[in-house]
Amino acid sequence: MGGEVVSGGIGRSVRRPDGPDKVSGAFPYAGDLRVPGMLQARTLRSPHPRARIGRIDTAAARRLPGVAAVVTAADVPGVATYGLIVADQPVFAATEVRYAGEPVAAVAAVDAATARRALAAIEVDYEPLRPSTDPERVLAADAEPLHPAGNLFREIDIRHGEPGVDGPVVVEDHYVVGMQDQAFLAPEAALVSPAADGGVDLRVATQWLHSDREQLAACLGIPENLVRLTLAGVGGAFGGREDVTVQIHGALLARAAGAPVRIAYDRVESFLGHPHRHPARMWFRHTATADGELVSVQARLVMDGGAYASSSPAVLANAVTHAAGPYRVPHARLHGVVVRTNNPPCGAMRGFGVPQVTIGHEAQMDRLADALGLDPVELRARNAVRPGDVLPTGQVLGAPLPARELIQLVAARPLPPPPAADVTGLARPGGLPAAAEPGRVRRGVGYALAYKNLLFSEGMDDSSAARVRLDLTDDGTPRVRVHSACAEVGQGFVTIAGQIARTELGVEQVDLAPADTAVGSAGSTSASRQTWMSGGAVRGACVAVADRLLARVARAAGLPAEVVEAPRRTLRIAAGEIVGVEAGLRVRLADALAEGPIEADYTFHHRRTTALGADGQGDPHVAFAGAAHRAVVDVDIDLGLVRVVSMALAQDCGTVLNPLSLRGQVEGGTAQGLGLALMEELVTVDGVVTNPNFHDYLLPTIADVPDLDFVAVTEPQPDAPYGVKGVGEAPTCTAAPAIVAAIRAAVGRDLRRVPVRPQDLVDLPTRADVHTAGDASTA
Amino acid sequence: MMAGGKSSAMFRPRTVGEAVEMLAAAHESGTAVALLGGGTDLVPALRSGERSAETVVALRRVLELRVRGAGADSLTIGAGVTYTDLDGWSLSPGLARAARVVGSVQIRNTGTVGGALGSARPGGDLLTFLTAADAEVLTVSPRGPERMPLPRFLADGLAPDALVTAVRLARPGGPQVYLKIGGRQAAYPAVVSCAVLVDRVRHRLTCAIGGVGLLPVRMGEAERYARDEVDWSTGTVSSSAARRFGDLVVEAAARVSPALPAGPRGSAEYRWHAAGVLAGRAFARCLHLTAPPVGEPARGSAAGGQP
Ligand SMILES: Cc1cc2nc3c(=O)[nH]c(=O)nc-3n(C[C@H](O)[C@H](O)[C@H](O)COP(=O)(O)OP(=O)(O)OC[C@H]3O[C@@H](n4cnc5c(N)ncnc54)[C@H](O)[C@@H]3O)c2cc1C
Repeated sequence: MGGEVVSGGIGRSVRRPDGPDKVSGAFPYAGDLRVPGMLQARTLRSPHPRARIGRIDTAAARRLPGVAAVVTAADVPGVATYGLIVADQPVFAATEVRYAGEPVAAVAAVDAATARRALAAIEVDYEPLRPSTDPERVLAADAEPLHPAGNLFREIDIRHGEPGVDGPVVVEDHYVVGMQDQAFLAPEAALVSPAADGGVDLRVATQWLHSDREQLAACLGIPENLVRLTLAGVGGAFGGREDVTVQIHGALLARAAGAPVRIAYDRVESFLGHPHRHPARMWFRHTATADGELVSVQARLVMDGGAYASSSPAVLANAVTHAAGPYRVPHARLHGVVVRTNNPPCGAMRGFGVPQVTIGHEAQMDRLADALGLDPVELRARNAVRPGDVLPTGQVLGAPLPARELIQLVAARPLPPPPAADVTGLARPGGLPAAAEPGRVRRGVGYALAYKNLLFSEGMDDSSAARVRLDLTDDGTPRVRVHSACAEVGQGFVTIAGQIARTELGVEQVDLAPADTAVGSAGSTSASRQTWMSGGAVRGACVAVADRLLARVARAAGLPAEVVEAPRRTLRIAAGEIVGVEAGLRVRLADALAEGPIEADYTFHHRRTTALGADGQGDPHVAFAGAAHRAVVDVDIDLGLVRVVSMALAQDCGTVLNPLSLRGQVEGGTAQGLGLALMEELVTVDGVVTNPNFHDYLLPTIADVPDLDFVAVTEPQPDAPYGVKGVGEAPTCTAAPAIVAAIRAAVGRDLRRVPVRPQDLVDLPTRADVHTAGDASTA
Repeated sequence: MMAGGKSSAMFRPRTVGEAVEMLAAAHESGTAVALLGGGTDLVPALRSGERSAETVVALRRVLELRVRGAGADSLTIGAGVTYTDLDGWSLSPGLARAARVVGSVQIRNTGTVGGALGSARPGGDLLTFLTAADAEVLTVSPRGPERMPLPRFLADGLAPDALVTAVRLARPGGPQVYLKIGGRQAAYPAVVSCAVLVDRVRHRLTCAIGGVGLLPVRMGEAERYARDEVDWSTGTVSSSAARRFGDLVVEAAARVSPALPAGPRGSAEYRWHAAGVLAGRAFARCLHLTAPPVGEPARGSAAGGQP
């Protein structure tokens, strides 16, 4: 409607409304919330990856002055377990702990130091058991079940084409992806207040208020309407806030103490408290014709889900269905399992199963190109999927998906100048400490192409509701109020919602009501879905409001009944007015609203998909977005230090609603993929995380991430509001494999493990060599 | 105080004498006391409960600890001197270099020399440099001032009622190089570090490696090799000597005992290897090589190939 006249509508680089507060430090994150009389909570976690619990004695802790409540499994009034897909995770471990870091008890006290002392006073008798931490062993016939539900979360076996058909050129190898963490900067936090009606009010940083509510109500044993959540400031999420962490513990403590409770993790606890990206062990076999057409792809994936299910079954579906990548594959056998171990639980993280398989299929494409003597870009372009192709699941690929165009576009971007002989400072691999030696630095260029599904898959109807109200402010100015439960986690819904409302209703002032459970579910802020789904809901509600307003005006102007029925054909909203050119009508919005506000609810649904059936066939994904990255790296070949010199990205973005916001998403996605390629890994030893802190879990800094050369391909997506696509995940999937490919090109080694560590790039002395050499030299 | 423990008290002495009195009083009354420099290590440790202190003695206002000075042949650096103060100090370019690559600008602005010694992290940048520099540590306690070699200070630890007032090292007698690596482009703790200091007057080269032992380690055998190989009249050495120097460092690094326990960042073998590469490079950058640097003391084929 009147989008061309109102400023701040769709298509513009509207600034984030919360931007200045975030930059200046005034923005209140969940962990910053305080209320008078509030207690501080802390969680007791198992140090053992697996142990039987004999007895938990909280008496001494309860007696400590200043301790208001201590809760354990015995204090959970409702269902004892929770979970996103299946409720297999105990609120507190009762009889057995299954991962190091599993909550056993929680306390609320007058201050943090007292709470800490109370934790130390809780006695837990653990009988340590041998942990099962090798995901390839837990399915063996003689393997012990680690949980009553068994060790297999899900198995998927996709059969496509004919079995046993091979091309003459074959590449085959194993690949490993380590455990990345979402590492959002604001740790988990909630402020929980018991309410007089027996309910509970939470202000919490989360990705999906209504899913939290459902799980909370079940575990608290109270009706959902007594559990009220309001979104508090979220400092990053990336999937790590999809699972419940602080919510139930905080609510149990607040109800037990009868006082508001602040439950907030520190960095170590944050690393232990939420599920991570699934580590994967993958085997791929690709075959092609002599002139480079893919004939078959086989993949076997083993994903480590850790101790509890979280979103493992859905992550596996993504991994297996995307395992062949965005390529035309006549014959495929794609098999995967996601299993239970005594490692930390793994679940949702940006890319949701796809970044792992992309590491594998893209390494295979490079090796196939080598084997064929083809350029890696040419091989990808030749085999890229096109709309109308049948994917390995049997799903027919919808338009648009310009895979071939993406890889060609990114390859055509100008390359950075070659490394200078006298490079200094940050331009050297390893940076300012200048350990790198320019004469020993080699340049490499690598490419990756991938696609990522958008929205929830496999038959889920993850709809989003929104309520829009158009009224007048006290001084008579038209104003739109948008109410959605969409969790703003940094992705920019708060900006986009305003742009949509301004576009549809031609009103500049748009207020966003706090996201809470007083309105219907918006679904999760994940799966690249909120601009599409909640954007669609806001748009739908705005359209309904506009229709009612136009009908009101038509009726008041005495226009014929058919105009009142379908007023849009005759009337439109433009620049604060309702205009009907043919009818010769012009009414100020303010006048039309004098009669009273107009409000409408709208629920947006995406097209229905189907679950994977026998042989992994179905129509599982709503749509896809493609991306292609080119990475240029410099590697010090003696030290194995890598510097990413430049990144270029071509991405299939659909219609762009906000170029600035889009840029934020693709730069962030690229940086997070860079982290996966080079440094981000939670390292476990016998199930215990050894680096739950930012000294040892390294994130890329601004010195690691080069400027992004970005080209958006903007073919509109049918069925999506304005033709949008989700944009946040696709670049995370391609950044890492492109960097790995560039390193491979620089050092001439096949790389089978991500993150790539310096030690993987050099020939290392063995203990035997150095000891012999040492003996010789001392002799 | 900042750590949230309600019973802790903060003292802010203005002189070393006052600080010692406060330490002594706390010690006598049996209260747990912690010295606070910049707090970059201590505050996180108190917050997480890893350390606790009933009394904190903050040294920031003790101006006499914040001076750095030069004598005829030595440099003295007060315990309260920050990394930022050291960065750009022309009298000790090597130390300046080591200070400049510590953490981030925020850490450099607050972190102090006294704190670096108090924490004695295995990969501490200053510690590696000071180990190569044969530094001495000056302390004060109720029993008076004391001065000891850095290794003894590190081995014995500090008496609970003492504080570090300064470190002292010789004025540079030649080129000094400090190198570190650690997993990204900036703001990282060292996985492996190397300091090489050349003394053209006394015909000595010293080398310390951080990241292989619990503390930085001197590379005695490599140092002796260098002493014999370098042509001290010209400061030149053959390029093959750089390679050999690096190999000797790898061997010594692998023999360090007790070794730094395996951590999440860098295998032991990689750390030995990297120590050799860094040492070879630092060596080559401190001296004039007689042949063009054809390569590095890397082991195996530098071009790689199929592993
Ligand atoms: C984000 C981050 C990055 C870092 N990066 C690096 C790095 O790259 N390289 C590196 O080497 N270090 C690094 N560090 C570690 C740390 O900053 C330094 O070691 C610093 O020198 C500590 O100094 P401080 O003054 O802050 O010490 P404090 O935290 O105040 O004290 C540290 C310890 O020393 C004791 N102490 C303080 N002053 C004295 C004194 N005068 N006498 C005796 N004991 C004393 C304290 O009681 C405490 O035990 C980093 C730390 C952080 C938080």
